[in-house]
Amino acid sequence: MSWRRICAADSVAERTLKKFEVDGIPVIIANYGEGFRAFPPVCPHMEEPLEESGFIEGKVLTCSKHLWQWDLGTTEMTGSETEKPMHFYEVKEENGDIHAFIESEHEYEFDEEDEMDDDDFFNS
Amino acid sequence: MKITVQTKGGQFEYDVDTGETLLAGALRNGITLPYECATGTCGTCRGRIMTGDCHMGWDEAPGAARLKREKGDCLLCQTTATSDALVRVPSSKVTDHFERGHVPCHCKGTLTNSRMLTHDVMHFDLVLDRPLNFDAGQFVTLSCDQVVGARAYSMVNYAADAQILSFVVKHLPGGGFGDWLFGEDVDGTEVSVFGALGAATFYPEEDRNIICIGGGSGIAGMMSILDRACQEKYFTDHAGHVFFGVRTMADSFYLAELASFAEQAGENLSITVALSDEDPGLKRHPEFDALKLDTGFVHEAASRAMAGRYDNAIGYVAGPPPMVDASLRVLVADGKLPVSDIRYDKFS
Repeated sequence: MSWRRICAADSVAERTLKKFEVDGIPVIIANYGEGFRAFPPVCPHMEEPLEESGFIEGKVLTCSKHLWQWDLGTTEMTGSETEKPMHFYEVKEENGDIHAFIESEHEYEFDEEDEMDDDDFFNS
Repeated sequence: MKITVQTKGGQFEYDVDTGETLLAGALRNGITLPYECATGTCGTCRGRIMTGDCHMGWDEAPGAARLKREKGDCLLCQTTATSDALVRVPSSKVTDHFERGHVPCHCKGTLTNSRMLTHDVMHFDLVLDRPLNFDAGQFVTLSCDQVVGARAYSMVNYAADAQILSFVVKHLPGGGFGDWLFGEDVDGTEVSVFGALGAATFYPEEDRNIICIGGGSGIAGMMSILDRACQEKYFTDHAGHVFFGVRTMADSFYLAELASFAEQAGENLSITVALSDEDPGLKRHPEFDALKLDTGFVHEAASRAMAGRYDNAIGYVAGPPPMVDASLRVLVADGKLPVSDIRYDKFS
């Protein structure tokens, strides 16, 4: 069972995001106006807590720390500053509730930059 | 010592002097290694020492917290070499020349004209031993024999081939250079200067309206932008909106200078002093009529005044981190500015 009920859909207002915890796993639910997204609660850049640093304008999520941006409509990176993709959990809305498909907590690898590993330093 | 840098975009070689950081050596040779704060805080100038004897001076630098030290990772802004060295830098954007702006250099300055502007804010000038070219909005790092480590300060003035640099510093206890500055009579002291650095720059040829939101001593770089803009009569055909946040009237400074900019520029330049902890009950400053007054946080004052006026604007932001955060939200969410049109130096 990896679909987990996170919250009532009406508990996250349009163009806001909120942090929840389900089975010990922290997750953010963002309402971008045309739907919901679920993702880990930290910016993939430098671990900023997105429930504080994140805000939604249009469909775009911005982390105010360094202005990295992701389009919540497409889940793609956007803006001129963003260098890493955001990890999204699959979400669905059912009977007024938001569910996310979370096998296990996704954690970004902050200190182990692939490109700094000697073997593939010049390969990408 | 000869330093070889391997990057994903190619290999570069340059010489560093004894005691010179690997970052400073690269930049003054025109090699564009990534950096932001240049003083150990942000962690952007990460590199990995592959061979050679290198030493990272400030071991506890905040920006070093997540480095893999056992693999040779270091902050190049804190690292010096005592032999030739091979360094890897995880960037694909390094080049051997500056697209825009001036290649930084080392020089010496003699501290002069230090004076208190408020109970905890000081102005001082440095008379340089050689002229320095910089862009309005940039900063330099300063260090001296009396203090360990370098601190970054934005220039307040603007001049081509500048012989004098002006600075404003707010006293934050625990900052080595700051404590020294505020602790004794510092006029006449020789200071080592490296710069200019930073990307929160103003270029008149970009032909944009400008929004400046500065908190406290964060106004420094914006004073430099206004200085250059007024020298070049920029506001005859561009709009400028400046918001200067301080706690109370007693915490404000540079008001005569700001009023002078507003008078020179005419109606296209609007300067508002926002007082977060005091309601003056006035729309205009009682002494400097060219300056508007507002009450509340500076980003709120900016948000109120700018509604519907973001057309063709570039936003500059500087100040304490919560104020910077709130102001960036205003520019992105209210102003709908693309983040490429927002300039601020990321010191954390």
